Amino acid sequence: MPKFLAKRIGLGLITLWLLSVLVFFGASVLPGDVGRRVLGPFASQQAVDALNHKLGADQPLLQQYWDWISGFLRGDLGTSVNGQPVSDIIWPALGHSVKLAVLAFIIVVPLGILGGVVAALHEGKASDRLISVGGLSATAIPDFVWAVLAILVFSLWLNVLPSTAQWPDGSGFLTQIKYLLLPALCLVFVLFGYIARMARAGTIEALDADYTRTAVIKGLPQRTVMRRHVLRNSLLPTIAVVATQAGYLIGGLVVIELIFNYQGIGLALFRAAEQKDFPVLESAVLVVGVVFLLATLAADILYSVLNPRVRLGSEDA
Amino acid sequence: MSRDETSRRVDAIRAHSTEIENDLIDEYSAGRLSRRDFVRRGAVIGMSVPIIGFLASACGGEKRSGGTASNAVTQAGGKEVTVKPGGTLKTGIVAPAAELDPIKIADEGGLGILGQAGDYLTWSDNNLHLQPRLAESWKPNGDGTVWTFKIRSGVKFSDGSPMTAEDVAATMNRLADPKVGSNSLSTFGGALSKGGAKAVDPTTVEFTLDAPNGSFPYLVSSDNYNAIILPKNYDGNWDKTFIGTGPWKLQRYTPHVGVTLAKNPDYWDKTRVPKVDTSDIKFYDEEAAQVVALQSGEVDILTHYSVSGGKALLNNPNLKTIELRSSTHRQMHMRNDKDPFTDKRVRQAVALAINRQAMVDGLFAKKADEGNDSPFAPVFPTTDKSVPQRQQDLDKAKALLQQAGKGGGFSVTLDTWNGFEIPDLAQLVQNDLQQVGIKLKLNITKPGIYYGDAVYGKSPWLDSVMGITDYGHRGVPNVFLTAALGSKGPWNAAHFHNTSYDDLIKEYVGALDVSAQKSAAGKIQQMLLDETPIVFPYFYYFLTGTKKNVANVQVTAMGHFDLTKAGFTGT
Repeated sequence: MPKFLAKRIGLGLITLWLLSVLVFFGASVLPGDVGRRVLGPFASQQAVDALNHKLGADQPLLQQYWDWISGFLRGDLGTSVNGQPVSDIIWPALGHSVKLAVLAFIIVVPLGILGGVVAALHEGKASDRLISVGGLSATAIPDFVWAVLAILVFSLWLNVLPSTAQWPDGSGFLTQIKYLLLPALCLVFVLFGYIARMARAGTIEALDADYTRTAVIKGLPQRTVMRRHVLRNSLLPTIAVVATQAGYLIGGLVVIELIFNYQGIGLALFRAAEQKDFPVLESAVLVVGVVFLLATLAADILYSVLNPRVRLGSEDA
Repeated sequence: MSRDETSRRVDAIRAHSTEIENDLIDEYSAGRLSRRDFVRRGAVIGMSVPIIGFLASACGGEKRSGGTASNAVTQAGGKEVTVKPGGTLKTGIVAPAAELDPIKIADEGGLGILGQAGDYLTWSDNNLHLQPRLAESWKPNGDGTVWTFKIRSGVKFSDGSPMTAEDVAATMNRLADPKVGSNSLSTFGGALSKGGAKAVDPTTVEFTLDAPNGSFPYLVSSDNYNAIILPKNYDGNWDKTFIGTGPWKLQRYTPHVGVTLAKNPDYWDKTRVPKVDTSDIKFYDEEAAQVVALQSGEVDILTHYSVSGGKALLNNPNLKTIELRSSTHRQMHMRNDKDPFTDKRVRQAVALAINRQAMVDGLFAKKADEGNDSPFAPVFPTTDKSVPQRQQDLDKAKALLQQAGKGGGFSVTLDTWNGFEIPDLAQLVQNDLQQVGIKLKLNITKPGIYYGDAVYGKSPWLDSVMGITDYGHRGVPNVFLTAALGSKGPWNAAHFHNTSYDDLIKEYVGALDVSAQKSAAGKIQQMLLDETPIVFPYFYYFLTGTKKNVANVQVTAMGHFDLTKAGFTGT
């Protein structure tokens, strides 16, 4: 296991470094200079030059990259082109995105798995069709369409939930949940179908397997068969799916965060890209990259815990 | 007071007035100035309010000529209404674009905040009247090259330190310093240079200008929104302290989310100590989110919304809308130095082909004024109203094209960006021009691409043969006249180089009395109608939305909002 972990982490670090280089030089190719982006087209050229100089944007690209990466490795994330320290932007944003992701997951993962298993148990019947087709249709509808519908129904018509997700500073736990319910709900609609289908496919395959038939023939009650044999195997592909969704939920939610005015890391990334705000852009990309890597690493570890064949390195895995 | 006494008093006032003031009184007495214009101009040149009031009735009475229509097209709650004291008002504004630095701010969201915690020397209200704030009074010298301002005493900054003339001079010199690179440079350019402001004594500041300027008090008013008075040793980090002399103090600021302000009970103007305890200002990136916030009650006031984005608000019986005439507009420029627009007849044809009324009705539900191809919007007092409004005339347009040798029509690309109602405007223009044989190709991109580096040679805005640019409201048309149309202007997308025009601008800017300003304005308007370097299709209104039970919200078309008297009524 330790060798496995070490190899994965090593590869991960190289990936992150490549990511930082790609993003930096990719963003620098975009048209427009930073000072002008920040101050707008009607600011005087003197003001723009003064800002560019202050930000070091008039230096060669490699110099800018080196300045940034050496600071980053020392733990200094630098300053945004707007003057704020990057850590003041990134960490709260990450926290917000994680909160939303956790809430969405807490709702959609059990729901999706339950739906998939139920569908598999009633394969071919009405409930299966409902869950499969319903879930698929919900996934096909983009997240921002769900967002608009949700705001219309719950904020405007019923007036029970707020139309923005950003709670006022100092709100308690329950208030924060209230504010997060609508975007979380949208994410549930989008993710349910995918998770349910994976769970369903995995469960059907496990139900068909030899070991399941053996267990049933042995006379074990259905509940025990499900718990000890079927679920463990059917959830394996589902775990992989859930882990990759972590990347979507933390960094990929730009449109939802924009509609709900939610200060998550997706929105921070988007703003930074628009403004050519390299310090924020780089840090945000790396943070999202780390989240992705950690999520897939966790998924692999969980997978190997559930599947002894992987853990023990058998050829059949 | 008998007629004899009145005329004796008038004579006494005149004997003590400067030449400029006497000229103004002459104009008014001769009936060449409306009462409204007299009052407004009197304030600009620094006559005291009681004297203006007295002269307005003493020298008035006969038929007035000219005058501007009231700016407030409809002001829900125009008169001050009693409101419940205490509590919190929640206001939604567009998110400030960058960090809150009074020196650099160049956007509507940021400037609104400055006006809460800071004060200006003078306040340009929604009728473009100048009201004294930190400056008690002001006077020009004989030719308008030196303006002397008397600064109010006894005013304290939010940290307790006293505000004096030295702070005022330091603030203005800092804003005029090219090395500091403030957004104010576009306002001060050509008028005030670094070092031009001097504190003569603790309550007097003398401004020595680069050239005569009859409207200088506007340049240090709230129209120059960066010019809140800061301590002379200010060195940055305004967003940590919100230092200023204003009616609101910082309670908590969360970037991108909002700012909570508490009322300043020691505010120097006892008539404007806020009625509510707290002002909660929330930031929104998207107009759709703002509109929904007002509808759902998440905010009580929405300082600015557009017709296209806020249709649901216009007809909502639980909300009120305040409408202000403004000078916000779009400029459709044509490169005067490039084919096919080198011949002014072609440019006139384009201007005659478009249907301005349809634009006002369709894009703004009639909440806009037609533009007459010059920066002189109906809201400006100096606009010469006698210049006839250009109307659509397709036959004349076709005839002009024929004369210019373009009878067979031609094809041209229009560059612009996809914000506000601009794409819709471009479509309407395309349809209109089609009818006279001009095929318009639309190249609508993002603002970053359209504006580019905002310098000649590196910006589709400034280089394109034809384009549409958005311009925000200003209290006086000066910057539109010089920057967008002057030969040396940095925003001259039409590449309009005309020395007679440049001379007329000098005449307009330097004029110290209203009739000279109006006459220069009239000449400029006529010249621009003839040359038509740029089409100005409309000037649209500034709309503010509030809940029905919120009163006394004061806004200006620039985006300033004054909530000191605002609050909830009993209903």
